Amino acid sequence: MSEKKKYKVDVLVVGTGPASAAASKRLVDAGLKTIAIDFRKLPRHKVCSGILSPRGHRFLIENFGPLPLKALHNPTSCKGVTFHFPSASSMPIDFLGGSTPHLHRKFSDHWAIEQSHVEVHDETAFLSLTTDGKKAVVSARCRGEAIEYEARFVIGADGPNSPVRASVYPEYSSEIPWFVVAQKFQPIIECPLDLDYFHFWINPKLGHYTWSHEREGRLIVGVGFKKGGNVDEHHKRFEDYMRDKHGVRLGPPERKEGGSHNFGPSIINRYVFGKENILITGQAAGFFNMLAEGMSCALHSGAIAGEAVIESLATRHPVQEVYREHIASEVNRSTDQYNPIKTVFDNVHEADFKSALKKLSRGDQLRAVRDLMKFISVYGDLNWGRQILGQSIRRLILGTYSTKRWL
Amino acid sequence: MKPTPKKAGTMHLDNVAPDSLQGIPRQRVNPPMWRRTSDEDAKDTWPAFVSDLKDLGININEGRAKRAIFVTDAGGLSYGMPDGVFSPSSATDIAEILKAAQRHVVPVTVRGGGLGTEGEAVAFGGLLLNMSSMQRVVDIDAKNLTARVEGGIFWHELAEVLRRKGLDYISAPLNFTSTVGGVLGVGGVDTNSPKYGLSADQAIALKVVTPTGEIVECSPTENSELFNRVILGYGQFGVIAEATLKIRKFTPMRMNYFYYSDLRTAIEDLRVIVEGEASDYSGILTIMDRAITLLVGFDSKEREDEFTKKTEPKLRGHGEIGFGLRMAIYYAFRPWKIGESLYLLKRRLLLFPDLMRREFTGKDGEIVDRTVIFSRAVWKHWGSKKMTIPDLAAPEDKFIEAVERGNAVCKKYFKYYTLYCVGIKKKQDAGDNHYEMSCVPKDAVNFAYGCEFEPSYGGGKYSRDKLQSFKNEIYDIGVDMDLSCYRFGGMMKGYIRRLFGDEVVERHLKMKQEADPAMILNKNTVF
Ligand SMILES: Cc1cc2nc3c(=O)[nH]c(=O)nc-3n(C[C@H](O)[C@H](O)[C@H](O)COP(=O)(O)OP(=O)(O)OC[C@H]3O[C@@H](n4cnc5c(N)ncnc54)[C@H](O)[C@@H]3O)c2cc1C
Ligand SMILES: Cc1cc2nc3c(=O)[nH]c(=O)nc-3n(C[C@H](O)[C@H](O)[C@H](O)COP(=O)(O)OP(=O)(O)OC[C@H]3O[C@@H](n4cnc5c(N)ncnc54)[C@H](O)[C@@H]3O)c2cc1C
Repeated sequence: MSEKKKYKVDVLVVGTGPASAAASKRLVDAGLKTIAIDFRKLPRHKVCSGILSPRGHRFLIENFGPLPLKALHNPTSCKGVTFHFPSASSMPIDFLGGSTPHLHRKFSDHWAIEQSHVEVHDETAFLSLTTDGKKAVVSARCRGEAIEYEARFVIGADGPNSPVRASVYPEYSSEIPWFVVAQKFQPIIECPLDLDYFHFWINPKLGHYTWSHEREGRLIVGVGFKKGGNVDEHHKRFEDYMRDKHGVRLGPPERKEGGSHNFGPSIINRYVFGKENILITGQAAGFFNMLAEGMSCALHSGAIAGEAVIESLATRHPVQEVYREHIASEVNRSTDQYNPIKTVFDNVHEADFKSALKKLSRGDQLRAVRDLMKFISVYGDLNWGRQILGQSIRRLILGTYSTKRWL
Repeated sequence: MKPTPKKAGTMHLDNVAPDSLQGIPRQRVNPPMWRRTSDEDAKDTWPAFVSDLKDLGININEGRAKRAIFVTDAGGLSYGMPDGVFSPSSATDIAEILKAAQRHVVPVTVRGGGLGTEGEAVAFGGLLLNMSSMQRVVDIDAKNLTARVEGGIFWHELAEVLRRKGLDYISAPLNFTSTVGGVLGVGGVDTNSPKYGLSADQAIALKVVTPTGEIVECSPTENSELFNRVILGYGQFGVIAEATLKIRKFTPMRMNYFYYSDLRTAIEDLRVIVEGEASDYSGILTIMDRAITLLVGFDSKEREDEFTKKTEPKLRGHGEIGFGLRMAIYYAFRPWKIGESLYLLKRRLLLFPDLMRREFTGKDGEIVDRTVIFSRAVWKHWGSKKMTIPDLAAPEDKFIEAVERGNAVCKKYFKYYTLYCVGIKKKQDAGDNHYEMSCVPKDAVNFAYGCEFEPSYGGGKYSRDKLQSFKNEIYDIGVDMDLSCYRFGGMMKGYIRRLFGDEVVERHLKMKQEADPAMILNKNTVF
């Protein structure tokens, strides 16, 4: 039997999505020997609407340069989000600062990781790790061949199901609620919706998360609900609703795709940041902004994880301590978006919700707010209400969210 | 709902077409810019560089402990290690080093006090030239009011020498350890800049070592082209080994303070004072946009009296007691802002006594040494290892908007912060290109105004990601409003083309390539 392939690095980053690209960029810039691994062959497909918040857009430009056309879908940009309320009105909300790109995740993620100049090992799956706090040993497999990475730090930027998180907290996945999101691509026969926007339905009858937008001449019809439901049923209901209510007529689905996701940790401030020299970041840590916008917080949290490693090496402070101190600003950003007090008295979203609301008639405004309150009730059985309120009040008085709720 | 029917598959508005973003390469944050052996076939030229210099009696210090001293600057966000350090004692040393550097293509980073914040004087590999070994005052001419100094001298050290003779420098940054050489290339703003202009405009002659290693004496009349390049040349066109500066008779500073609760009114009043040349010193220092202090200072009782008679009646600020009362009333009706009011009170109680300490003031309360007062206060009340002070420099008519927009960005990022605003008089007989690609914006008529946006961390720890995002958002305002910035090198390099335009930058790049064929002097900080 041949010797197991071994690599010794400063940092091993698991995943090659946006969180990984940002972390890798920082680490490589700081001159640390870094490898990023992904179990898929790159460029890899990614189920995603590809709508980027303005802050995510600027992060990409600032760190990786102008986006190549290849990294964009058609239509190449998105003006904002339109909310549809069941009791009548629809409300287009523009992104602050203008349109943002509609990313083709397969190529934009690949472009970003290439721009970071990190050494990438694709088709290399993370399997398990052990650590003594100073040195982590990661076992991985590349096309059937076992590989071992010895790293001073491991960053888990490996998305919703995060195997790195699972190796640090084996129980975690079974303790949180999971949501299924699925989208179908359908040819457009007639569509009166303004296709410059991403559309979202604030409607408890349709499910937890219901959206639509155009891509490459097809309409994406997307539904999200708590794990256990049936995709086709939800989907049929939504398609009928769009036809009856909005006059949208579509051809039969050409393709469908989906997955299960960990919406929730951002809402109730239950993030997972890892242990000792194992850092967890991006969606794996629980970062999600409003409307499942997860790229901007993946990018920023990834960068902060990378910076925490650099700072820890420079100052000899424990890396978890540095990471947790520095990540607090990103936690505030994400969790503020679900904080009712912040939403009303501050400007926490990157789209101009308040001025869009002002444009509606008085009656429609009231109906919209009532619909919003009703919509929140679909999340009622999750027992998040009290936690949201508790965290919001704490944020108001002390200015921060509790760090004790983090793993 | 007003649906806009759209044909499926058509391209919509697209603000991200690749060519619309050209010229915005902002990706560089903190890379190792020079690796001795980055790729296989690149030869490691460092050992030959070191040994060539050794033969000339110039010993480069390659010890890790020595190199690590210079790992970062006052900004604390940019980290880089040189391969070696040298502290020159003469222009000849510098010349030999630059000649060898050209030959072996080794980058040389010049370091004054390291008080930059964007890594302009951090060496990412190569040689670090530590100028703080050249700190002598060469000559003082009390009759013609000039002083000749070495480039690595701290302004404050110069002040100490001059003040023993009843003299003073004209204007310099309000800190202890910025050097003459490190400031003449960049600008230098003091509270008397509304009267005297930039520190850089006080230089009347220089001894420069060019990037190719020639030692050249220059002034507006002798080798004037080189002189003009090096002054406000952002460290690219030569090392300042010696400088002759205009000086003046020493006078203490008689201070007056006016308090405002509205930013716009305070800035309008600052403009009245600056553009009416009504004082000898002026500036605005705020606590958020709540408590705004307009500082007005004078060199003499006569000037002060004239101001009191002519200008003061036009100002809308309050005295301290009046302002305190107004604040008390404001907060009494806003109990939810108790945290903010306590913060203001704490600042008032801690900061103000520091600005008026007996040991630094004369018997009438006049300030003897403003640098001591302000530098101590800045480091004590704002300072941290990560000094984040992005700024905007605007012409007269755009200043208020620039400050208001920057203020909104501060609010978004930080709970507590300070704005520091000051006017800068433009040199009247300066040529057309004098301020090109400098902190003085191109459409300033007689005065430019600068505003520094300084977060007070208050014990909070922030990631570089957050601080950098903050700086970028401030600079975006500069781009949007066509302004300039004081610190545009190093980590903010990505903004240079956007602020100054391709045409100007290309022209300066060409001059740089001519002056420095191997592009070794302060490599990558600007070009
Ligand atoms: C339907 C849908 C629509 C969305 N729409 C948007 C949107 O419009 N805008 C937006 O900003 N966000 C959107 N999101 C969220 C966004 O996709 C995520 O938040 C974001 O991709 C998270 O980035 P990340 O880098 O943390 O993880 P990911 O992008 O998920 O990257 C994780 C990587 O880890 C790799 N990996 C996983 N397991 C292993 C293993 N064992 N070994 C090695 N590698 C592994 C994966 O292959 C993957 O490349 C959407 C999500 C869904 C599901
Ligand atoms: C707390 C604080 C307060 C400040 N207050 C003020 C203020 O009130 N007003 C103001 O104007 N600025 C202020 N600054 C900014 C600071 O004064 C400037 O950045 C100044 O340029 C720093 O001088 P230095 O000698 O430390 O230069 P460095 O940071 O060492 O170098 C600056 C640049 O000049 C080059 N350089 C250095 N020496 C030479 C030389 N001999 N010849 C050629 N090039 C050289 C370097 O390569 C670098 O590019 C402040 C900064 C801090 C941190």
